[in-house]
Amino acid sequence: MTVTLDNVTKSYGRTVALHPTTIRFDHGVIGLLGPNGAGKTTMLRVLSSALSPSAGTVTVAGHEVTGSHAERTEARRRIGYLPQEVVFPRGMTAFGFLDYIAVLKEWGDTTGRHDEVRRVLALVDLAERATVKVKALSGGQRRRLAIAQALLGDPALLLLDEPTTGLDPEQRASLRGLLSGRPGTVLISTHQTEDVSALCDRVVVLDAGRVCFDGTVPDLLATAAGRVHQGPSANPGAVQTWRTGTGLIRSVGGRPAPDSSAVEPTVEDAYLLLRSATPEGAPA
Amino acid sequence: MSWHIDETTWRAYAAGRLDAVAESAVEEHVTSCPGCRDGARMVVGDVEPLWHAVHHQITAQLTAPAQSRVLRLLARLKVPGADLVVVGAARDLLTSWSVAVGAAVCCALLTGLVPVHLPGGPPALFLVIAPLIPVLAVVAAYDATDPLREITETTPFSKLRLALLRAAAALTAAVPLTVAVALAVPALRGYFATWLLPGLALTVTALILLTWLTAWIACAVVGGGWLAAALAAAAADRIDGAATGPGQAAFALVVVVLGVVLVHVTTTQHTRGVAP
Repeated sequence: MTVTLDNVTKSYGRTVALHPTTIRFDHGVIGLLGPNGAGKTTMLRVLSSALSPSAGTVTVAGHEVTGSHAERTEARRRIGYLPQEVVFPRGMTAFGFLDYIAVLKEWGDTTGRHDEVRRVLALVDLAERATVKVKALSGGQRRRLAIAQALLGDPALLLLDEPTTGLDPEQRASLRGLLSGRPGTVLISTHQTEDVSALCDRVVVLDAGRVCFDGTVPDLLATAAGRVHQGPSANPGAVQTWRTGTGLIRSVGGRPAPDSSAVEPTVEDAYLLLRSATPEGAPA
Repeated sequence: MSWHIDETTWRAYAAGRLDAVAESAVEEHVTSCPGCRDGARMVVGDVEPLWHAVHHQITAQLTAPAQSRVLRLLARLKVPGADLVVVGAARDLLTSWSVAVGAAVCCALLTGLVPVHLPGGPPALFLVIAPLIPVLAVVAAYDATDPLREITETTPFSKLRLALLRAAAALTAAVPLTVAVALAVPALRGYFATWLLPGLALTVTALILLTWLTAWIACAVVGGGWLAAALAAAAADRIDGAATGPGQAAFALVVVVLGVVLVHVTTTQHTRGVAP
């Protein structure tokens, strides 16, 4: 299962959300990191076919999302998409909502469709809430319901825009378990760097509509090796510093303070350093 | 205990071939006879799959959404189950149909109250208002599922089919009601069918606009445009032009053209993006 963006651009009026981008995604879990407005959501919406690119070609499993109606429909049969925000229609139950989306995903046979709805409800631990109206569900449960609709039909390409927003640590761990065992390609846009380090085979960092890093988690960590320190005082010129629970100050970047020692960087450290190297992310 | 259940009887029971009296006798006997219960296991084999099947059936019945009376009626009329789900997603059409009823009643009241000496009289007002009733009903049906537009857009389901299913469901109430209004008001009886083509043209226009606009904005654009055209026609003293033969022929042509445009936009257009 291969997904490609070939010279894809997206502009909203004069604002360029995605500069010409050529990238290929193969099997595995890929994390999209970046600040707000970096182009993550735009990239996912273009891949999902919810949005037409201003230029370029998007291909999902050999079918052009940007091609003919038939090609786009073929591509859509392979896509499960979770938007950043899902506003649910009033009055629907959890089961009814998924049943409706399952119909739109071409599950015509009622028995098979209902079995599939029950399967995804169980996957997100909502089997017991099937008959509850969506408006009566908690925020976390609604988010899981939104994830469930993306999982209908076990799509080969799963596009998840900030799936862990509103989930508690246990639910996030459960979602990681669910996604890590999946075949096919999973693209996750997130601000949670710990999700990336725990789950992703590959990380793509976007900034101001451009890809500024593309590699594995160890590759990303390697960019921060020897640049994160901990000690009683902060590194001069550090990108970020904060006092940890032990009372020591953790410094990301900058010149090492004389009494500090280098520590293992996290994905968040590496991300902060990467951001500081871009014009948009550099400290004022 | 003078008798026990033999294998043939068990098999007949399991297959549902026993009559009611024999069936209850077997059930009563087996509650007090451990030997026969063992015999049942030998005949039926492992009961786990049976238990799971029964459990699955019960869960299926409990979790499946209950259908409204309208949808059950449509199911009896052999409307496919998947289409019923799409139609039912518009909040069982209650809002849409309520809007249609409300609009039809308003239409009847307004046309009944309008002074006959005004240009065109009640028929002219009816011809202005009536075509908007199906538009309101269709837009209300869309509004219920509009929040899911971004997800809907990425599914392979035909957008044209989706549009027509929702529209057809909404129109089943709006069209007969408006015809009934025209038949009920004596001054309108000659006009009960003349609003249909303008109504169809406006409804298809709204469906086209729904590709880019939210439901009520599309409705406002269509309604505003139609009322502006009606005012212009009234100013030119040609308000009843829509009811004439050439007027109806023009609307028929417009409907055909708009139909082609609808097919085109539903197969080629994406949701218009907004900056995140």
